[in-house]
Amino acid sequence: MRIGIPQCGNAYIIAEALVQKLDNGENELIVPPATSHRTLDLGVKYSPVEACLPFKLTLGNLIEACQLGADTLIHARGTGVCRLGYYVKEQEQIIRDLGYDAHFLTLDVSQHKFRSIMRLMKDVTNDASWLKIISAFHFAMEKLFALDRIEKVVHKVRAVELEKGRTNQVYREAVKSIGEAKTVRAVKNTTKEHIKKLDRVPKDPTADPVKVSIVGEVFVVLDPFANMDIEMELGKLGVEVERTMSLSRWVKYSLFLNYLGINEWKEVHEAAMPYLKRDVGGDGWESVGEKVVYARNGYDGVVHLAPFTCMPEIVAQNIMPSTKEDIPVLTILYDEQMAKPGMITRLEAFVDLLKFRRKRRRK
Amino acid sequence: MVKVGIPRALSYYQYYPGWKAFFEALGAETVVSPPTNKAIFTAGNARAVAETCLPVKLFFGHVISLADKCDYMFIPAMRSLGKKAYYCSKFIGLPDMTRALVPECPLILDPEIDLNKGRRSLYHTIYSLGRHFSSDKGKIKRAVEQAEKAHLAYRKEMSDRGITPVQALDEMHRDEGKSYLEPDISHGLSVAVIGHPYVIYDDYINHRLISRLQAMGVRVFTPEMAEQESLDIAMTKLGGAPHWSFEADIIGAGEYYIEVKVDGIISVAVFGCGPDSMMMDMVRHRTSEFRTPFLHLSLDEHTSDGGLITRLEAFLDMVKRRRKVCA
Repeated sequence: MRIGIPQCGNAYIIAEALVQKLDNGENELIVPPATSHRTLDLGVKYSPVEACLPFKLTLGNLIEACQLGADTLIHARGTGVCRLGYYVKEQEQIIRDLGYDAHFLTLDVSQHKFRSIMRLMKDVTNDASWLKIISAFHFAMEKLFALDRIEKVVHKVRAVELEKGRTNQVYREAVKSIGEAKTVRAVKNTTKEHIKKLDRVPKDPTADPVKVSIVGEVFVVLDPFANMDIEMELGKLGVEVERTMSLSRWVKYSLFLNYLGINEWKEVHEAAMPYLKRDVGGDGWESVGEKVVYARNGYDGVVHLAPFTCMPEIVAQNIMPSTKEDIPVLTILYDEQMAKPGMITRLEAFVDLLKFRRKRRRK
Repeated sequence: MVKVGIPRALSYYQYYPGWKAFFEALGAETVVSPPTNKAIFTAGNARAVAETCLPVKLFFGHVISLADKCDYMFIPAMRSLGKKAYYCSKFIGLPDMTRALVPECPLILDPEIDLNKGRRSLYHTIYSLGRHFSSDKGKIKRAVEQAEKAHLAYRKEMSDRGITPVQALDEMHRDEGKSYLEPDISHGLSVAVIGHPYVIYDDYINHRLISRLQAMGVRVFTPEMAEQESLDIAMTKLGGAPHWSFEADIIGAGEYYIEVKVDGIISVAVFGCGPDSMMMDMVRHRTSEFRTPFLHLSLDEHTSDGGLITRLEAFLDMVKRRRKVCA
């Protein structure tokens, strides 16, 4: 079996880790090349015009994987009110029409998640033993948590670094060496080492960075190609970025703690209640709630990301301005037409506004 | 009498007779907003963020036009009308969006319709809705039965007589049923128009598409003119188990009319519609397998009737010539 996966941020490192540990000589993981403009062009060319950006990008990834010889494609599937539930139906047909002989294995991301992920691993590995699967899973999760831990530190350091670009350099090194680590211990060591390195990055002691949180649709929030490196761009402007959503958090709660009745979004949902009473699919409910929560926690601003025509986020966008908790929100909608300079100009103006507000408030 | 406002938009076209029967049985009166006009469009468009799709913007316009004419506004949050089949996010967020965007709106009745949770939860929802009007459980139950009867009669009326919801509702609003003029079908062309009811029956959105086609001598078929059962069968054939609650009306109707061999299919969607962006493509794919002429119209607030007419004429010319050649 030659397995192809779509790209989303650093998720490919996790897939590589799983395959490395579960390899029985029959499977090969085909990680398509990092999402590029070629990927986007392919996706746009073969998608329905009005499909959303995550659909187009993942389709592009899958086509590139097929070009490299993948015969089994893995994709997320959700039951719920968002278009995600329709992705596989549609992409399967497009890929068949293009003449590739590939079948889809789906990963249910909205119900029975744990069962779905375990079944998927059993299917892919030809019934490997549970022990092997669990130890591989543990190894992959170690990498995932390490990556997200590093990222959290990077967000803080990048805003106050003296020599611009230094943090990114360390971050890239860290991602590379975590990806290459072969054992759990190696992952732990290299994480520690890189966090120390980040601590040693020269910082401006007088800096008092503006604090901005990133909320919105999960794919564009997590994928740097889709969101045009927004976290890095904000960091360059001297902004400390915070984001609640991350893959490791999703795994931690969706696959484990939710089964124990712990809901990571409970506080956020309660905060959203006066304005939006129910789940509207995707991440719309969370976006509204997070705006309220971050406003209460004294953040300076919220950057709300969504793909163009995303239904749940349009609901959120309509409701957000009417909340009592006042905090500036910048909504950025991504599609294939968007250019990075436009985004940067908007970020600069937004950050200026936040600085101005802060000064006025302190007077 | 207590007045319940029902905006003439979105779910209105499918469920109004049922809702009317329900509220009337509980001793309330229903007030419906006028057909979409420029004032309604302008009012709605000014409130919603730009990316919102046109029918939802119009919905807010309808709510605004009703705001001072009723005591309650009925805006159900439609989540699911079948096992694992869902509505669009905007339908679920409708009551909350209205609260945020139209603060002058009277108290909103927002039952959450979620058949995925099972019938018990639906009964519970309807009882708590009914309690706004009556504390008599028996009366609420009878109102539900009346509503169901009215809805089924309405659905049957449309499929038996081959009329659109607008025609059926117009007859209902008049005291005595006056039947419609049979459209001129001298050319004998038959074209199926598929799309959401609130797009293909709102003349403001689609620039009187159906009457224009009829005036051009075309016999128009719409999803409601087929029986629900045939639509469901056709849908399962093409798309498998539905993901959307309205999949039968789009994919089902597409497949059904392709199979009964109409001369052409026109799919009508509004710009930015999430579900349609995927479903219409499935139908398009199917038409190319069957070699059925297919026209996709994507409408928004900037669409002008001039461009629309040109495309319709070109499409019909193509269908006519094709028929001559193939005959």
